[in-house]
Amino acid sequence: MFETLSTILKYVFAIIIYIFIYSIIRLIYLDIRSMSAKAVSSSGKHPYLKLLNIREELPFKVEEIYILDGNKTIGRSNDNEFVIKDPFLSGRHAEFLLKDGMIYVKDRGSKNGTFVNNERIGSTEVCINNGDRIQVGSLSFILIKDE
Amino acid sequence: MNMERRTIYVLVFVSLLFFILVGYLTCFELFQKDRIVSNPYNRRQYEIEEKTLRGSIYDSRGKVLANSVVTDGVQKREYPYGPMYSHVIGYSSRKYGKSLIEAKFNNYLLGMDDSSAVLSIKDKLTGNAREGNDIYLTIDHELQEKAYNLLGDRKGAIVAMNPKTGEILAMVSKPDFNPDDSELEKNWSNMIDDEDAPFLTRATQGLYTPGSTYKVVIGAAAVENNLSDKIYEDKGTATIDGKKISNSGGKAYGKIDIKTAMAVSSNVVFATIGCELGEDNLKEIAQRVGLGASIPFDIPVSQSAFKYNRMSNADMAAVGIGQGKILVTPLHMALITSAIANDGVMMKPILVSRVERRSGIVLKRQKPSELYRIMSPETASHVKDMMVEVVESGTGKKAAVKGIKVAGKTGTAENELTARQKNKEHAWFIGFAPADDPQIAVAVILEYSGSTGGSAAAPIARDLISAWVK
Amino acid sequence: MKGFTKYFKPIYPVILINIIGYFLLYLYRQPYEQATVFSGLAVIALICITYALIIKLMLGDEYLFLIVSMLVSLGIIMLYRINKELAVKQILWLALGIALFFLCYFIYTRFAKWDKLIFFYLGGALGLFVFTMAFAKNIKGAKNWIFIGDFSIQASEIIKVLYILLLASYYTNPEKLQINGLKLMGREICINHKLVFIVISYCHIGFLILQKELGTAFLLFAVFFLFLFVSGSNVWVMAINACIASIGGVLSYLLMNHIRVRVDIWMNPWADISNRGYQVAQSLFAIGAGGFFGTGLGLGRPDLIPEVHSDFIFSAICEEMGVFGGIAVIFLFFIFVYRGVKISLMAKEPFDKNAALGITLMFGLQTFIILGGVTKLIPLTGITLPFISYGGSSLTTGFISLGFLQAISNKY
Repeated sequence: MFETLSTILKYVFAIIIYIFIYSIIRLIYLDIRSMSAKAVSSSGKHPYLKLLNIREELPFKVEEIYILDGNKTIGRSNDNEFVIKDPFLSGRHAEFLLKDGMIYVKDRGSKNGTFVNNERIGSTEVCINNGDRIQVGSLSFILIKDE
Repeated sequence: MNMERRTIYVLVFVSLLFFILVGYLTCFELFQKDRIVSNPYNRRQYEIEEKTLRGSIYDSRGKVLANSVVTDGVQKREYPYGPMYSHVIGYSSRKYGKSLIEAKFNNYLLGMDDSSAVLSIKDKLTGNAREGNDIYLTIDHELQEKAYNLLGDRKGAIVAMNPKTGEILAMVSKPDFNPDDSELEKNWSNMIDDEDAPFLTRATQGLYTPGSTYKVVIGAAAVENNLSDKIYEDKGTATIDGKKISNSGGKAYGKIDIKTAMAVSSNVVFATIGCELGEDNLKEIAQRVGLGASIPFDIPVSQSAFKYNRMSNADMAAVGIGQGKILVTPLHMALITSAIANDGVMMKPILVSRVERRSGIVLKRQKPSELYRIMSPETASHVKDMMVEVVESGTGKKAAVKGIKVAGKTGTAENELTARQKNKEHAWFIGFAPADDPQIAVAVILEYSGSTGGSAAAPIARDLISAWVK
Repeated sequence: MKGFTKYFKPIYPVILINIIGYFLLYLYRQPYEQATVFSGLAVIALICITYALIIKLMLGDEYLFLIVSMLVSLGIIMLYRINKELAVKQILWLALGIALFFLCYFIYTRFAKWDKLIFFYLGGALGLFVFTMAFAKNIKGAKNWIFIGDFSIQASEIIKVLYILLLASYYTNPEKLQINGLKLMGREICINHKLVFIVISYCHIGFLILQKELGTAFLLFAVFFLFLFVSGSNVWVMAINACIASIGGVLSYLLMNHIRVRVDIWMNPWADISNRGYQVAQSLFAIGAGGFFGTGLGLGRPDLIPEVHSDFIFSAICEEMGVFGGIAVIFLFFIFVYRGVKISLMAKEPFDKNAALGITLMFGLQTFIILGGVTKLIPLTGITLPFISYGGSSLTTGFISLGFLQAISNKY
C-alpha cells in the first residue's frame, strides 16, 4: 500500500517542485521586464515613480511606472491623475508636486497613510529625492529622478 | 568595467557552475549509471536480485530455456539444455556477472523496467513476492537442437532465420560452454585462457572472410550494371594486375554467362566482373548490404567490415570473389541471404519476440521491421535464379532437398591461416528455401575446416531446411 | 491560465510538498505515529507564520524565504525518512533559526555601524580559532567543535559569517587595515592595507586547513578570490593569489596525507572501494539507483550511505526523489543566488552591497562544493548543504546570514 502511494506520489512531488520553480522564475521574468521598462522611460527627462511590488499578480490594474511631468494626485477615485483600484488606497490618497525642479509629496488625509522611506507623512509637503521609497496602500514605489 | 558589471560576471560564473552540475548529473544518469550501479559493492542490486524471482526465458513455442528456482531460500538459475543456448541466452552468475540476453534484458528479467514499476503496483497491493518478467525468444527449440547436433564438435556457427520477418529460428556457435553457475566456477579460468575462445559468440561476433558467398552480392551488382547477359571466357586462371586468380582445381569452363559462373563458382569470371564494376560500384554495394554499419540486435553484434580506401585492380578482383579486406559475421551473411529471399528487403533481426509479465500482460513486443532495402525485387529475383542453379547443378548440390526448391551459394574462404598452412579454409554455405516462397534462410560456417563449403557446410543447411520446410 | 496565476501563490507548493511528504512518512513509519503528523504541522506552521510576517511587516524580498522554505522542507522530509530523531531536532533548530532570522533582521536594520567593527570580526574569528585549537574535540576528523554543556557548535560555521562581515567592512573602509608608523628596528614602516587583508584571509584559510576543515577553507578562498575580482583588483594581484593558492594546494597535497587521500579517491574511488572510496561509491550508487524520478520516498536505500544525514543528503534526495529532484534543488539554489546578487546590485551603501554579495556567494559556492563532491565532479570536502543538511550550527548560521540578506533587501 505504502509502496504504491510512494511510487505514484513521487511524480506528483517532482511536478509540484517544478511548478514552484516555474512560478518563481515567472516572477523573476516580470522583474526583468520591469527593469527594461525603466530603461526605456529613463530616456525621457521627467522623473517618475517605479512600482516595486512584483509580489504576485495584483487583482487591480497598476502600471510599472508613473511619470511625474507635472503635479499629480494618486488615489482610488477616478478624478485622480493616477487611478489605482487598490482597496488599501483612499479615494484621494496623496499628491505629488513639482516646484523649481524639486519634487514634494503630501498626504491628502488618507486612511492608511503615505510613507516616505518607512516614515509616515502628514499633509505638509515633504521633499523627496532620487531613490526615495514611497508607500501608499499596499504598493511601494521608488522615485527615479536624474540629478 | 565597473563593480556592477563585475558582480554580474560573478553571477554568471556561479550560474555556470550550477549548470555544469546539472549537465553532469544528467550525463551521469544517462550514460554512466548502468555501469556504476552494477558494481558488486552496490548492495541495492544484490538485494533486488535476492528479493525478485528472476524471469524465465522460453522458446517460441513456450519451452523453458532458462528459469530460476528457489530451494531453501536460495535462488538458482537453471539452464535445462546446458550449453545449447550458451551463445544465445548467455549466463547469469553472481560472481561472473551476466552476458547476452541475461545481461541486455536484465532489467526486464528483474522487473526493474519502467512499465513494470507501474504494473507491479498490483503485486505490492496483494503483498506477493516480487517477480521478474518472462522473455519469449523467436528461437524454435527443435530446430536449435537439430542445428546444435549438426554442428557437432566442429568449430563454427549456424544462423537460421525467417527471411520475411527477421526472426532468428536457430543460432548456434561453437565451441560453447555450460552456463550453469557451478560449471562456470569450475571452468572459468581455463575458458578465459582457451585459444578456441569458447566465450566468443561466433554467430554474431565472429568476423570471417565471406569467400565465394559474397558472389551473390557481386552478382546483384552485376545485374544492376547490365552484365547479366554478358558471356565471359573462363580459361581456368587469369592474372589481374599481377595477381593470379584461379578457379577451384584450376578448372576451365570456357564461354559462360554469369549464371553458370555463379553455379560453378568461377573465380576467373567474378574477378573480372569485380574489375568491370569498378571501385565505386563495389563500395556502393558493400555499403548497401550493410558492411561497416552496425546492426541493431538483441545481443551484441560485431560490425562487418569493408576496409578499403583506394582500390587497385587486384583489390577489385579480390573483392569480386569475396576475398580481400572484407569481414562479415555469420548473422550478417544470413541477413543478406534473407534479403535476397525477401525481394531485396533486409528485415531487422529479432531474437526476443516479447517480454511478458507473469500475469500475461505484454510489456514489450518486437514487430518485424525493415532494416534496409538492399536491392530491387527484380535484381533479387535474378540473383535468386542464379542461387537456385547453384543447388540444382552447381557446387551446392549437396544442399538439395527432394521436393523443395532450394537456393544457395557455397563458399570456401581463404583466411589468415591458409597462407601458411594447408586445409585451413572456412567452409561456408548460405541459402534459403523454398525458393518461390522462402520460409527459412540459413548461413553456415565451419571455421578453419579445410573442406569446401559444398561438401561440409551444404549438407548442414540441407538438413535444417528439410527439417523446417515440410 | 490567468485565473490560475491570479490565485496561485508560490507558498502553496511548499505547503503541498510538506503535506504529501508527511503523509507518506506517516504511512512509512510503522507503527503509525502521531508525532509524524505533529512534526509536519510544526514545519508548515513555522513556514507559514514566517512568510506571513515577512509579507505583513513588509520585510522586503519574500522570495528568499520562499526558496529557503522549500529547501528546508525537502531537507527535513528526507531527514525524517532517514532518522526521525535527527529530524525532530532539526525542526527545533529550524524554530531557533527563524527566531535568529528575525532577530538578525532587526539588529541589522537598527544598528548602523556594521562597517566599523572590522577588528571585532577579526578578533572573534581568531578567538574562535585559538579556542578550538585548545579545547575543541575531534568530530569526524575535523577539529573545530566547541562543546557547551550538551551542545556542540561547529566553529567554522560562525567563522564563515564573521569572515563575510570582515570582507564587507574591509571593502567599505580599506584604509582601516593600513598599518602606518610601525616602528621596527628604529625604522618606520608602512604596510599596505591590501597586503594586510590578504594575509588575514590566508590566516583564516590556513587555520581551517589545520583543523581539517577543507571544505570551508576552499569556500573561503573562493569567496575571497571572487571578491578580489569584484573589487576591481589588478590582474597581477589576482594572478599572484591564484599562484599562491596553487602552490599551497600542491604543497598541502604533498605534505598532508588527508588531502592526498581526498584527491586519490576523487580520481578513482573504485580502486579502494571497500575502504576509503566507500563513501563516494555509495553516494554514486544511490544517485544511480534513483533514476530520473527516484524510487519514491521510503523505497530506496539511502541508509547505505555513511553520513547521509549531513554531507550526503543530496545523494539521498537523488535516490528517492530522483535526479529531477536533485536538479530542482540546484535550480532553487540558482534562483536564490540570482535574488541575492540582485539585492546586492540594488543596494546603495557599499557595506550592504558587499555583505549581500558575500552571503550570496557563500551559499552558492558552498552548494557547488558539496554537490560537486558527492557526485564526484570535484574532490569531496566535508561541508554541509545549506538549509538541507542536518546540523544546528549550519542551519542557524544559515538563517542568521539570511536575516542579514533580508534586511539589506528591505533597505532599498
